Amino acid sequence: MPQHYLVTIDEQEFDIEVEFVGEGYRVTVNGNEHLVRRFDMESVHSLMLVDHMSYEAFVRGNGEQGQRSVFMLGREIDAHIEDYNLAQLKKAAGMSGPGAVDTTVKAPMPGLVIDIKVSPGDTVSKGQALCIVEAMKMENVIKAPADGTVKAVPAKTGSSVEKGDVLIDIE
Amino acid sequence: MTRKIKKILIANRGEIAVRVMRACRDLDIKSVAVFSECDSTAFHVRIADEAYPIGPSPSNESYLVFDNIIEAARKSGADAIHPGYGFLSENSAFAKRCEEEGLVFIGPKPDTIALLGDKLQAREAARRAGLPLVPGEDIGDVTDTQAALAKAEEIGFPVLVKAAAGGGGKGMRVVNKAEDFEEALQRASSEAKSAFGDGRVFLERYLTHPRHVEIQIMADEHGNVIYLGERECSIQRRHQKVIEESPSPIMTPELRKKMGEAAVSIARETGYLNAGTVEFMVDQDLSFYFLEVNTRLQVEHPVTEMVTGLDLVKGQVYVAEGKELPYGQSDVKLRGHAIECRIYAEDPDSGFMPSTGTLSNYRQPAGPGVRVDAGVTIGSQIPIYYDPMVAKMVVWGSTREEAIGRCKRALEEYRIAGVKTTIGFHQTVLNNERFVAGDISTRFLEEEYPDNKYIVLDDETRRAAAMAVALDKFANERRITLGRRENQIPEQSRWVNVHRRLNLKRMGG
Repeated sequence: MPQHYLVTIDEQEFDIEVEFVGEGYRVTVNGNEHLVRRFDMESVHSLMLVDHMSYEAFVRGNGEQGQRSVFMLGREIDAHIEDYNLAQLKKAAGMSGPGAVDTTVKAPMPGLVIDIKVSPGDTVSKGQALCIVEAMKMENVIKAPADGTVKAVPAKTGSSVEKGDVLIDIE
Repeated sequence: MTRKIKKILIANRGEIAVRVMRACRDLDIKSVAVFSECDSTAFHVRIADEAYPIGPSPSNESYLVFDNIIEAARKSGADAIHPGYGFLSENSAFAKRCEEEGLVFIGPKPDTIALLGDKLQAREAARRAGLPLVPGEDIGDVTDTQAALAKAEEIGFPVLVKAAAGGGGKGMRVVNKAEDFEEALQRASSEAKSAFGDGRVFLERYLTHPRHVEIQIMADEHGNVIYLGERECSIQRRHQKVIEESPSPIMTPELRKKMGEAAVSIARETGYLNAGTVEFMVDQDLSFYFLEVNTRLQVEHPVTEMVTGLDLVKGQVYVAEGKELPYGQSDVKLRGHAIECRIYAEDPDSGFMPSTGTLSNYRQPAGPGVRVDAGVTIGSQIPIYYDPMVAKMVVWGSTREEAIGRCKRALEEYRIAGVKTTIGFHQTVLNNERFVAGDISTRFLEEEYPDNKYIVLDDETRRAAAMAVALDKFANERRITLGRRENQIPEQSRWVNVHRRLNLKRMGG
């Protein structure tokens, strides 16, 4: 049975229909039809021959629903995938898909919180230093992604954080 | 006095430990690895002849603990220690400890390391040896913020704050205006304190468009000091080199001779022994200034090996055995062009944030002119505790043009999955017209990529990635549906069988 997806990369949308046909997949991307042969290799690793053009890809889910990381041609590409019809319904209902504004500041990598520069109630402006996370001997200044007010500071000076842990909550 | 080294302990991890172990094997010397908790199955442990645990993962509880490393040397019966780069490589107290324990430290004498490791003393030595120094020097110790700011204003912004004990860009900040000075001073000092245990910093005039060009030197106990050409290391981010090449695109035989002889004279002035690197800044008018001496084997040493055809690590071992260098200045002939790309587990588009995780796939490029020094293999972890460099990819070509072409080919062949890497960044830089023309300076990246956006995806790649994601989901959904259908009947009958068996047991059958 053919499936219909909406894939978003860097805010560019791809309307993709996939159907299994004898020799591979018929993939229609924004109205253009391609024949793709796909070979599964170990775990997340696959080889695609897109109209005979060779691509090696590694597709990983990265925790959140619909979020994917694709390693391809020396690059890691962040993508989002959802059912096409569901995405259209959501859009019609005014619910935004992947690009929703995130005002929680998360640790971009595992490390040690060595300094916190704000407290709950502080007004911060975009680009302002919020806290400092040390990883691999480098001190990384974590900056405010947008203007706002600090709602909560779950991070504690001297504690280790994992990638994705919430450091500062901004409203 | 010569001595035969039979077994070397490598007080390091990652690609450099592997590099030294390879030289050991070439020389028929046994190699000993040391490893922290998270490194128990690391690549360097697998390559070594023997391996000893030295403590928990944080480096200050393992790779930096003198006693643990000396104990491993004792247990293994090693007669020499190679420190690699980073960690204890420029620690004079450690070099001295080795001497006291009767172990050969493969590097300069402790006093030389101490002198050149203190940037202020090193500048004095350079002055004595007649080397040109960066304008606005001699600022000295900085503790009083107000006094420091006054000094910075005297030198004139932009000013460079540098750790006296520093290296590798740690504890270093460029300050463009007075308002940012205090914050930068504190950050640099606290970074220096945590990285080197020494929070002293000093100030220097910041040249606006300098090139970073360094001279490789080699010195033995018999008074021979030679230089092995230069390395151009101007492509830097956060003051850390990411692409290095030899020869430098601006080099002339006359300038090479002048810089080479300057490097040799500071080596003689300080009684230098073993391999070392004298770093210079070269201004647009080709005048050069002494920067510092790195008293260790450099990360980027392979580019010199590629153009000279000499094995620098083997050379280090010869010198450490008290032998005379097997080659003199006139034997050093440069051939072709070499380029190194440092492959880091970092996200170039997020200010080169470290990216940790497991390498779910790893495949190195190969083919004519390609050398990869890696510290990892498929399945390796990139831990948070250490430098996130995964490998160094070095290519050689008969001309710079050929080397750039091979470099692009090799980067395209590289497959790393599981962590973000700097491969895409290198591809972008190697296609940059200014880079191709050799028109670079240490400010190249900030000038060419002011918004820190390096990874430019073309439409074709983006479309292929979108298809990969869609096909992955489709294949997974298909697998689940097919799986359910196939498993239905056998699964039921298996349970039926289990029940029957249990019932039989209960009935005493």
